[in-house]
Amino acid sequence: MSKLVTDDGRTHIQSRLMRESLVDRKVIARTDSEREFEIMPNVVLVGIGGQSIFDRGKGALLPLVEEISALRGKHRLMLGVGGGTRVRHTVSIALDLGVPTGGVAQLVGAMEEANAVFLNALLAKHRSIVMQREHFWELPLYIENGMLPIVISIPPYHFWEPPPEDGPLPAHGSDFGLFILAEVLGMSRVVFVKDEDGLYTKDPKQHADAKLIKRTTLSALLADMPEELILDRQLFKAWQAARHVKRVHIVNGLKRGELTRALAGEDAGTIIEREDAT
Amino acid sequence: MSDRRVIENALGESALTSTGWKGFDYDPVAMMPDTRVIKVGGQSIMDRGRAALFPILDELVAVKDKYKLLLCCGGGTRARHIYAMASDLELPTGVLAALGGYVPRQNARMLQMLLAKHGGLFIMHDDFEKLPLYFRLGCIPIMTGMPPFGYWEKPTEGGRIPQHRTDAGVFLTAEVLGVKRALFIKDEDGLFTDDPKKNPGATHIPRIGASELRARNLDDMVLERVVIEYLGRARFCHELQIVNGLKRGMVTRALEGEDVGTIIYKD
Repeated sequence: MSKLVTDDGRTHIQSRLMRESLVDRKVIARTDSEREFEIMPNVVLVGIGGQSIFDRGKGALLPLVEEISALRGKHRLMLGVGGGTRVRHTVSIALDLGVPTGGVAQLVGAMEEANAVFLNALLAKHRSIVMQREHFWELPLYIENGMLPIVISIPPYHFWEPPPEDGPLPAHGSDFGLFILAEVLGMSRVVFVKDEDGLYTKDPKQHADAKLIKRTTLSALLADMPEELILDRQLFKAWQAARHVKRVHIVNGLKRGELTRALAGEDAGTIIEREDAT
Repeated sequence: MSDRRVIENALGESALTSTGWKGFDYDPVAMMPDTRVIKVGGQSIMDRGRAALFPILDELVAVKDKYKLLLCCGGGTRARHIYAMASDLELPTGVLAALGGYVPRQNARMLQMLLAKHGGLFIMHDDFEKLPLYFRLGCIPIMTGMPPFGYWEKPTEGGRIPQHRTDAGVFLTAEVLGVKRALFIKDEDGLFTDDPKKNPGATHIPRIGASELRARNLDDMVLERVVIEYLGRARFCHELQIVNGLKRGMVTRALEGEDVGTIIYKD
């Protein structure tokens, strides 16, 4: 039975953190431990690019949908989608209008949700379902019944998006959102499906001399971060303090079979690993 | 292979993976700059009950037709109990953030019940866009101080307590509304050189810049660390005022623009 303590004018419940300042570094350190509970460890999150895959329409999307439907049942999958060109259009108009950064963050999720609905229409007969924002306690129901849950990828930072370090664009995009979702649920792998073979030293669409990085580690990447990135910068920052995600895989969804190979653990696209991964 | 069907726009080819955007004049609009964003402390005020809270509410009700008041609640000892239980179970930070969110919502509901006869309205994050209506009606909207990150809270380095809690939510609320100063009602006169509850020799700091405060690298602080970090790059909210709600009149004086308590400013 918890005890109430009222000796200083405040009513406290007895706990390890009673009366403590949660800003105190020593107090924060006391909440740390070696291990962390894995909530849904055997699920792999697959993020599908908006601009890179969706905006190409039928030619890119239908073969990928077919590939995903064949993977259903072989892997426990959770899908997420980006918003693509409509997000960029939203942001450019909103910034021109002087919408504050938090307001921009509030707007962009709608375009991703639209893509989630698109994807669901294509995958419904293969048991996909668009999940409500925080309803992932329903995940065991979906996963154990061989369904393909589609999650909202943009994190719910909305009006409360922190001020960016540089420039006006919200920093927490859909790659970051999917990564955090995988992390909090204790997943070890995230696969991003894009329209390039992986991570390059610079944007391969704009530089012919960009080199593909086949395999790298998080710390190598952080030490020498390419100026133009294929995934949200915040993803890599958050990964430093993460405990579950060991591998981020980037594959070319325009090449048939690449996602299948990545899920099978093969060397497809770019593999980024945490060096302390076991 | 099919081409990307791109809507032509200034960001058309951008990967959107970084926040910088060169060659563009960004001039953000302050949405509701005359709102007073006020945090009512959890452990410091709510957990003291009637003796601490009622005089503060009297002060707020007395000025409710003069200012647009948006009240945000802290968590307090029940949130600490949740964080202690959840970290003992080795649950991830995002789960702690989601669970910790329940407590300030309870506190906001309590405040609403107390202020109902003066127009107190409990609002959720999704009601944020209706703020102009609430103010037009002379209401006092009351919400959780916690930002809506929940399960999407970033893992905390070297611990499990979420970095963005109710101080962060209050600051971010003020920032997006375009409010220059956010007010934090606590049970101390503001910032001290050490925790005044543990060290009676600690001296009061009436005014300090965010970068100077960060440079001091204190082990403990009066507000969440991310708030001080964000303050340095905020576009609108450039001052955080912390006042002692246990001293009669401090809240009113702060709302009148007096520099009571501690001011932490963007420098």
